[in-house]
Amino acid sequence: MLVNVQDVASERAVPPRAQAPPPTTAEVRRPPPPRQGVAAAISAELLAGLRAWPIWMVLGWDDIRQRYRRSVIGPFWITLSMGIFILLLGVIYSRLFHTDIRTYIPFLSAGLTVWAFIAQNTNEGCLAFAEGARIIKQIKLPYSIYILRIVWRNLIIFMHTVAIFIPVALIFRVPLSLATLLVVPGLVLVCINVTWVALLLSILSTRFRDMQPIVATLVQIAMFTTPIMWPVESLSDGRIIAEINPLYHLIDIVRAPMLGTAPEPLSWLVAGGVALLGWALATAIMVAKHRRIVFWL
Amino acid sequence: MSAIYFDDVGVDIPIFDVSKASLKKALLGRTIGSRFGESGSHVTVRALKNISFQAHDGDRIAIVGDNGSGKSTLLRVASQVYPPTSGTVSIVGNVAPLFDATLGMSMDATGVENIQIAGTIWGMTRAQIKNSIDDIAEFTELGDYLTVPVRTYSTGMMLRLAFAIATARDPEILLIDEIIGVGDRAFHEKAFKRMQRLAERSRILMVASHADDVLRGLCDKAIWLNQGNLVEFGELERVLAAYRGQALPARETALA
Repeated sequence: MLVNVQDVASERAVPPRAQAPPPTTAEVRRPPPPRQGVAAAISAELLAGLRAWPIWMVLGWDDIRQRYRRSVIGPFWITLSMGIFILLLGVIYSRLFHTDIRTYIPFLSAGLTVWAFIAQNTNEGCLAFAEGARIIKQIKLPYSIYILRIVWRNLIIFMHTVAIFIPVALIFRVPLSLATLLVVPGLVLVCINVTWVALLLSILSTRFRDMQPIVATLVQIAMFTTPIMWPVESLSDGRIIAEINPLYHLIDIVRAPMLGTAPEPLSWLVAGGVALLGWALATAIMVAKHRRIVFWL
Repeated sequence: MSAIYFDDVGVDIPIFDVSKASLKKALLGRTIGSRFGESGSHVTVRALKNISFQAHDGDRIAIVGDNGSGKSTLLRVASQVYPPTSGTVSIVGNVAPLFDATLGMSMDATGVENIQIAGTIWGMTRAQIKNSIDDIAEFTELGDYLTVPVRTYSTGMMLRLAFAIATARDPEILLIDEIIGVGDRAFHEKAFKRMQRLAERSRILMVASHADDVLRGLCDKAIWLNQGNLVEFGELERVLAAYRGQALPARETALA
């Protein structure tokens, strides 16, 4: 049924309008229907989100400001509790693993801050669309905005927690070298990886509500099975257990430079390879399901 | 130049009950097979069926219909929040939806901070937001309250602020879903005036409402929806008369 809008009499009093009278239908060049291909979906849902950086930055900042409100030290509470944790664990575990406390505590604090960043993004990624539901249901924005908001705010929190490492590095004389600069590309690669993880989990857990507790459990298990609180060396000839774990490599590309050494090339390769595969998977699911997500909320 | 084209648009909304939306059931359904009934398939509601219409510059369209007739769904499709299940929708011009006036409200943030957050979401630039703050302060009469957390506002104050933020932009296509039915009488009149001014500036307006006087003040055309079908599209008074004087077609279930 196509209704002709031109034959409508408009003798009724309506508010005065500023524009010229409406053009006839012939004047209006009808746009082609919106593109629906893979490239269009990637551009509209993922790339457009990067370009809309003011939005996710504002949302992420507000999340952080929220934690500072009526609290003197805000997110530094995380830093403080992590500091106490590192101190106690450092004293006990360095004996348990028969390692020198002067190398163990820097190792532990570097690893734990990087791990906290990865774990937070993974856990909060599950809730990305639920968190943005009120916006999603009202205004069409690229879905990646809600993901980037989470990565951005966790990056800010990482800047808070990494503060714990500075006194540790000074006290235990962690060497500064050219390799230290590799922290930057390492952190960038970690961000690229957590972004696809959050994207994938956000879609899956919007559809399947059981996903989030499952992920939370897995994250907890991963913390103990990945060399964060124990050095790889303590596995002696069982090192393979750590090395087949991509999380080990992901952590080490930031942790090793923090400790003044260059990460193994293998770690770079694994982190890069996981990023490629992960993005391919997350993009495929996004392209397949982006038209359904709003109905799942 | 702005326009809205709906061609044979249908929207199916899936309804998941808690058990169906769980991963365990989906996996069980797959491995155990049909024993768990229709796991994998779920109930869908046909919220809109074969809707076709066009709107062009200068059109102010009222959307009328009973509760559940698809008014809000139609607006969500026009705002591109809901992708159509079938048919095509083309929109020319930037769309400003006004469905839930509290979009982007952060309870612990101050009024001014909320203006900044919501303004950014609406795609306003920093300068535009800065310029709109005075206008919003004047409209809401909140004064110094704009510098304290929104959490401390009364419901009426909150509504005034939300409405002012949402209407601060200069959109080409404005979509409004029954939002001015709330608030006290003084606010109601003020809000109505602001909407009228907004409607004058925007090129296409679509308003869903049950309040005929609101629709008469804002619109000159109307779409009548019934159970997801477009019953009539035409001159406001004619459609309103038909809708109000209707003998409603026998109610059939909308579940498909």
